[in-house]
This record gives sequence, structure tokens and C-alpha cells, in this order.
Amino acid sequence: MVRRNVLLIKTGELKVLLRRLFIAVLFFCSIFFILLSTVNSPLISGINKAALRITGPIMQVVEYPARIVHRAYTYLYDISRIYIDNRELRAENKQMLILQNKVRSLEVENQLLSRLLNYVPPPEANFISAKIIAESGDNFTHILFIYIGNEDVKKGQIVLGDESVIGRIDAVSGSYAKVILVTDINSKIPVVVERTRARGILSGDNTSMPSLIFTRSTADIQEGDVIVTSGVGGMFPAGLPIGFVSSAQNNEIKVETLADISRIEYVRIVDYGLTAAQVEIFDASLESAKHER
Amino acid sequence: MRDSWQEKIKLFWLHGIPLWITLFLMFLCLIPSDSVKINYFRPAVGLICVFYWSLKRSYIFSYISAFTVGFFMDALSSSPLGINILLMMLMVFVAQWLAHYFQNTSFGAGWVIFGLVGMCAFALKWLLLSIYYRMLISPDEIIFNYMSTVMFYPLIAAFSEWMQKYLPQERIDE
Repeated sequence: MVRRNVLLIKTGELKVLLRRLFIAVLFFCSIFFILLSTVNSPLISGINKAALRITGPIMQVVEYPARIVHRAYTYLYDISRIYIDNRELRAENKQMLILQNKVRSLEVENQLLSRLLNYVPPPEANFISAKIIAESGDNFTHILFIYIGNEDVKKGQIVLGDESVIGRIDAVSGSYAKVILVTDINSKIPVVVERTRARGILSGDNTSMPSLIFTRSTADIQEGDVIVTSGVGGMFPAGLPIGFVSSAQNNEIKVETLADISRIEYVRIVDYGLTAAQVEIFDASLESAKHER
Repeated sequence: MRDSWQEKIKLFWLHGIPLWITLFLMFLCLIPSDSVKINYFRPAVGLICVFYWSLKRSYIFSYISAFTVGFFMDALSSSPLGINILLMMLMVFVAQWLAHYFQNTSFGAGWVIFGLVGMCAFALKWLLLSIYYRMLISPDEIIFNYMSTVMFYPLIAAFSEWMQKYLPQERIDE
């Protein structure tokens, strides 16, 4: 078999050489991407958005049959429990009516006191509902993918599960958004201990229980204390519950989240009327806090 | 001319089967579940597939396929873009080298080899992420993730072995 020479190199050898060069380029690309990720490059953000745009519809298609099966199972399970649930709900309803009256009287009292103090309330938040279409595929990351349709969702907006915070929007592309959960290593949320008003940052570490960091060493924090958003930085509304302190030992405070993410099908996104500039400032402050740490 | 294009599409489809299967399984693992246990039992299917196909059919599972799998793994997670790409490409490199010695090895031996290679892959990922975030990531859940991945290997490998019947026995370049 006669082999052709191209620039004194046999075509077979040239193919092998080109193949090796191509593999080296691919390795170089992966390292280049990692380096670019460290500086929050717009290129990486663009690539991530494009990937989300491609994967979003695929995930929705894959999830659809599974959702139908799950709904059928839930329907049958609910029917089997209908009598017990009804009895429990009646009892609960009685309690709720009592609480409702208390809340009404407190609301009136609050309005009167606010008027007396000339108190300016924070901006009202709007809520957008979105469906969860996928969850993170490994234990290195804690994220959700949601379908937002044509709603105007921005990066940085807070996401609620049942009634408590579960994460924040990381990227939006088309009709899909990526949510970073409070347990993810990239999540940093300014919080306050409800009982003592001690401030801190709730920092995810890829375990099921995020840590409370940057708290004063003298702060009085006990097991069972409720953790709520502080509203510092203007990024999130203040007072949204996140979880409660599950352990506070050796300067390590672990927080158990209130929301059971595995039981949530829909989430609520809090639109607090933030501008893109505010989001950038918030991200930058958290980034610097991360480096200080 | 028309036949040639049809032939090219057919070849592209056939050679791409391992990649399509890998991506499909990866998407399948993202389905939300209402069980806490299942949510923690999410094996690294991409890693299993990349290892298996690179070991058994290296001629149709190239570095481009590994790059694509890694790219989607990164896109579907919150980890920095490039970490999984690098990891998958290293996995192909190692598996193709191992293929010289263990290509026709038994199912059980393949499992043991994956256990060792997978451990190195998880350790490397943990190391890279710890360097990236400048903090030591808790290894507990990663160890659990590794164990669930190794436990899941036989299922994916058996399915892939069954799929091999439909794949070309050697690379066909037109």
C-alpha cells in the first residue's frame, strides 16, 4: 500500500498528529474554562445560558412521563388517606381561625404603631410561581431547574419552597432558570437569628445542613433558634424563614432548612424589584466575603 | 450522492449511540423525586458510561464524546465549567490505556477496575473543587456518592453490554 506524503509527512502520521493535537486542544479548553470560571467571565455565563437553553426543553420532555406516573401514585395514595386527612384538617381549621383573629388584631395594632412612628415600609414583593423540572444529578452540587415560562425572572431573586427560603436564581435562559439551593457551596445568604437578632451569613457547603458563618463569637445562639433573612444588602426581603439551628458546637453552627425540597413540586420566586446593578453589587460583596474567608 | 448522505447520517447515528445513551441516562437521573433517600442516591451515571464505553468501545467513544458529556455535566450542575470536562477526558485517557490490558476482561473484574478508577476520579474532583472554592469540601456525601456510583455500575454496564449488539464491531470510516 502506497502512502502519500504531505510536506514530507505520511498522511497516516499526519492524521495521528492532528488527532493528538485536537485532543490537546480539548484538554486546554477544559483548563481554560476552569480558569475563566474563577474570574466570573461573561463568556462562561453565556455558555451556561446557552447550555440551559438546550437542556431545559430536553429535561422537561424526560420529566413529563415520570411526573404523570408520580401524580397517579399520589392520587391513589391521597384517596386512601382522605378520611384521616379530613378529620385532621377540620381540627387544624379550628386552630387557624383562632390564629387568624389574632393576626388581624396584631395587623391593626402594627399599622397604628407604624403610623405613630412615621415608619416607611420596605418595597412590596411580588411572587412568581414556577415548576421544578429537574434536580441536580450528583452530590457535588445542590441545584434545581425550573420552568418559568414568559415571566420576568432575574438572577439573584430569592426562591421559596412551601413558605421558607430554599435558594436563589443563578441563571436565566429563555423559559428556564437554574436555582442554587441554600445547601449548595455557592450559596451565601445574609441572615439573622430571629430571637437574638445576631447577624451572619448562611453558607452552603454541599451537605444537607448549611453553616452559619461570620457571627460574633459572643452572639447568643442556641439549638432551635429560627434563622430568617436579614435583608442586609437589599437583596432579599427581611424576615423570610430559612431554617433553625440544629447544632452549635465548637464555633460551628449548623442550620437545618425548614423546606423539604424533595416534597416540593412548585416554587415561588420573590420579585423584590431589584435592578441588575444591585444584583452585581451583592454578588461582588459575597465574592469578597468568600475570599476573606 | 443521496445514498452517501444517508449513509453518513446512519454512521453518525450508529457511532453516536454510546453518547446518546449516556446523555439520556444523565437526563433521566435529573428527574425530581419526592423521596429524600432517592435524592441522595444519585449516582454519577456520566462517569460510569464514559468509563464503560471508553474501555469496551474506545473506537466509537472519543474525546469529543467525553467533552460533550462533561460539558453537559457542568451545565447541569453548579460546579465551575470545565471541571467535569477535564475529569471525563482524563477518564477516557485512563480507560483507553486500560483497554490495552483489560478490554476483554470479565464483568466482575471490570467492576473492580471501575471501583478503583472511580475512586481516583471522585478524589480528583473533590480536590479540584476544594482548590476552586479555597475550602475543604466535606467528604462525607462525596464518599456516599462514590459508593452509590460503584453500586450502580452493574446495572448501567449490563444495559450497555446489551446495547453493544446494535453497535458496529469496528470503526467504519465511510
